[in-house]
Amino acid sequence: MIDKGIALKVLGTLNSGGASFSEIYIQKSISNSLKLEDSRIENSNSGYDMGCGLRVWIGDSTYYAYVDSIEEKKLIEAAKILGAAGKSSTTGKLFDLNRELRQAPSGYKANILKTPSATYANEKKDILVAVDTVCRGYDKHIIQVTTSLSDIEEEVYTANSYGEQSFQKIVKVFLSVNAVAKKDSDMRTGYKSLAKTSGYEAISIPKAEGIAKEASRIAITMLDAVDAPMGSLPVVIGPAFGGVIFHEACGHGLEADSIIKDASVFKGKEGKKIASGIVNAIDDPTMPNHWGSFKFDGEGYPSSPVTLIKNGVLESFIYDLRSSKKLGKGRTSNGRRQSFRHVPIPRMTNTYIDRGTEKPQNLIGSVKKGIFAKEFAGGQVDPATGDFVFGISEGYLIESGKLGKPIKGATLIGNGPDILKKIEAIADDLDFAPGFCGKQGQSAANEVGQPTIKVSEITVGGTGGR
Amino acid sequence: MTENFTIETRIEELEKICSETAAKIPSGSADQWEVFAARGLENEIDVFNGDIETLSFSDSTGIGIRIFKEGSIGYAYTAVLQEDAIRNAIKKALDNSKITKKDKLNYLPTKKDHKYSKNQVDKKLLFDKDYLKVPITEKIEMAKELEVLTKKADSRVSGVTNVMYSDGISEVAILNSNGLSDSYNTTIALVYVNAISRKDKDTSTGDYFGISRNPSDIGLADIAAKAAERSVSILGGQKIESQPLDIVLDPMVAAQFMAVIASTLNADSVQKGKSLFKDSIGKKIFDIDADIFDDGTLPAGLASRPFDGEGVIKGKTSVFEKGILKTFLYDTYTARKDKTLSTGNANRASYRSTPSVGSSNFYISPGNHTPEEIIGSVNKGFYIMDIIGLGSGTNPISGQMSVGAKGLLIEKGKLSRPVKEVTIATDILSFLKSFKMIGNDLKFVPAGGYLGSPTVLVENISISGK
Repeated sequence: MIDKGIALKVLGTLNSGGASFSEIYIQKSISNSLKLEDSRIENSNSGYDMGCGLRVWIGDSTYYAYVDSIEEKKLIEAAKILGAAGKSSTTGKLFDLNRELRQAPSGYKANILKTPSATYANEKKDILVAVDTVCRGYDKHIIQVTTSLSDIEEEVYTANSYGEQSFQKIVKVFLSVNAVAKKDSDMRTGYKSLAKTSGYEAISIPKAEGIAKEASRIAITMLDAVDAPMGSLPVVIGPAFGGVIFHEACGHGLEADSIIKDASVFKGKEGKKIASGIVNAIDDPTMPNHWGSFKFDGEGYPSSPVTLIKNGVLESFIYDLRSSKKLGKGRTSNGRRQSFRHVPIPRMTNTYIDRGTEKPQNLIGSVKKGIFAKEFAGGQVDPATGDFVFGISEGYLIESGKLGKPIKGATLIGNGPDILKKIEAIADDLDFAPGFCGKQGQSAANEVGQPTIKVSEITVGGTGGR
Repeated sequence: MTENFTIETRIEELEKICSETAAKIPSGSADQWEVFAARGLENEIDVFNGDIETLSFSDSTGIGIRIFKEGSIGYAYTAVLQEDAIRNAIKKALDNSKITKKDKLNYLPTKKDHKYSKNQVDKKLLFDKDYLKVPITEKIEMAKELEVLTKKADSRVSGVTNVMYSDGISEVAILNSNGLSDSYNTTIALVYVNAISRKDKDTSTGDYFGISRNPSDIGLADIAAKAAERSVSILGGQKIESQPLDIVLDPMVAAQFMAVIASTLNADSVQKGKSLFKDSIGKKIFDIDADIFDDGTLPAGLASRPFDGEGVIKGKTSVFEKGILKTFLYDTYTARKDKTLSTGNANRASYRSTPSVGSSNFYISPGNHTPEEIIGSVNKGFYIMDIIGLGSGTNPISGQMSVGAKGLLIEKGKLSRPVKEVTIATDILSFLKSFKMIGNDLKFVPAGGYLGSPTVLVENISISGK
């Protein structure tokens, strides 16, 4: 994407003021999106972005700038301004950049069969039309379907003053379906998405139709929902998107930037038991074609899995380069950024609770009175306190070990460290679900995952009495 | 860095980019076209322990091209402004117009579509020229001082998770084949701090912010004091029994709920059958005489601008008058569909996206009660100072709401002990109907729009806790 000689020149300019680290991040991306609503294709948009992010460390400070260009002249201009940030500082030391840039190797392997640029717009349109047809044919109460399909083809190059460089091509596809059902004056929604680090082979029409059916099924099921109960109850959490509970309740607190700031409830807990002994949790960006996977992270570091929790014991936090240096720990491939316009920060990738040995139906069978939370609308956490919430989008009452009526308007609220200790059982049906996670104004492609799990008690926030 | 970094307006350049782009559209290829150019200049300074943690700056410009061809619309953007990239974007926009569904209402706005015929915004008030004179060193000092003041504000404050200064210029130019050619620019400065406090084993966080067109107008001491107070006052919070209670929402919390209300009043959602208010024009929704406005003309309003994302003049729209729903919010297309006029509510997040209906400065008009009078009127209630999970816990289509809340118990008109880890749950219609008192302390919050509310009392809401 850029001549090695130019990369070295830019890094040299960045370092000229006495920086302890400098980096360039070049990204070129071509994106397309299509949206169908009211049974018509409303939008068809295309975009083109290309630019370079420049970063230096001077003392404990990070300085960052970007340019919407990869022209040598503009890069050198911006590098001069950033490099000058260090002029007054004496803490930096000059790096010798006379050595060659080394290509970082990555073990990540995944094939891309059908790239977006080799896929006709009409094929994409057919996917959305098929989704709409399936949803509307599913039940007469489906009154609206919103479905979007987007794709991105990217090239990313990084080089830094440690002499490391990386190059990768990234292809991602994303399909979402939101179905609205109406009966009398009640309206309910069902949402499902399919997202892969892959080409269009991941979104065949039969697969898209499967997603459409699921979204419709949820919306229709929820039409019969009763008010969710209130108070502390045992909760069985379904597989795949249920993993958002670990992502929020624990994962964010393991991101090392919050450890540095003493803003995590898990600070100082490495090697200590923080969860029930049956809990094993992993962050793994190397799973082929998963939504949160990559060859190199946003700092050009080769992807590799991290064991977060082993048999209930906290094994590792997740780091970007800066936090690993600051805390004197080994680097993990979790330095991620939304684009060349953003500073890398420690982020999760594909994060999941590993499978257990129980059968899912036994978990439900063991609850006298509680709820089964099957799908979630998302969640939020305050990492400093560990307090979290999740909105349940598909849930059921459990009465005497049997699934009862669907429930509406339920949120789970609790505290991360507290909930981890209350995981009583883990089933063997591990599955994953894609999503977007927001942190410090940056959006990242993340996957969550888990098998069905049982938590002895969580506060359920409904309106239906106890 | 400080002396190399100067800020200037480039509005004429944007206007030129628009006309040069328009000249590249092959004649006869489109029935109508629109070019939207936007430039964003941003500075962000994060401070930690008296040092700059991250300083980033960026200055980028891009264009979005909208093509109208036989009733279909195609869109493409490019962040790269080289000749070939612009030509390619035009070609993609033309290609995209072949995929979307035809609709005879799809054509550029004309003066006949405008509800407000005269621009009511003094462009000079949106752009504070003195902002350009504030040196970056002064901005860094502001962030450092805010950290010091916050830590000093109360002995229980142990640190901050975030202290940030950010500012920027946003410049927009629009040109279309109907002869519209206009532009504006705005300045904005924001400081934010999130204070952590600790006592015994409990940890609590509380945040506050200041926002202005010019950093010199932001008072740091008050922000530090409020962040510390919001953190410290809920230290040691406990879960309470599940029960219905009268709730008092502080303005920061109440304003966030306004975002949910605004999204249900979007004409696009209404026309697609996704709004609870579909057949509610002229109906009394509130029990009390509440007034709600969408005002795109407030001098200090972050969402104020002379015209909207498709060039339609903005105005002050009365959405609820004395508790009665008067109108929805419209862009040109939805207005034509309802045989009415555009309220100037075509929003555009950036040049990357097509215009879509959204709110401006959306707020509930202040009443005449002081917050103390409102709290004093409550025998037993819950004063809510922070909510979590609004995005995942509210569904604007079904109307279900269930979010996590923190604050103080109200006993016999007095604030008493802190409460945490509880949820409040209701549905949008019951929620609005239960508004009983409105304070005189209107406050705006930048939360997915610019939303405003005073303190409000809402009667008899389900609290779920123990």
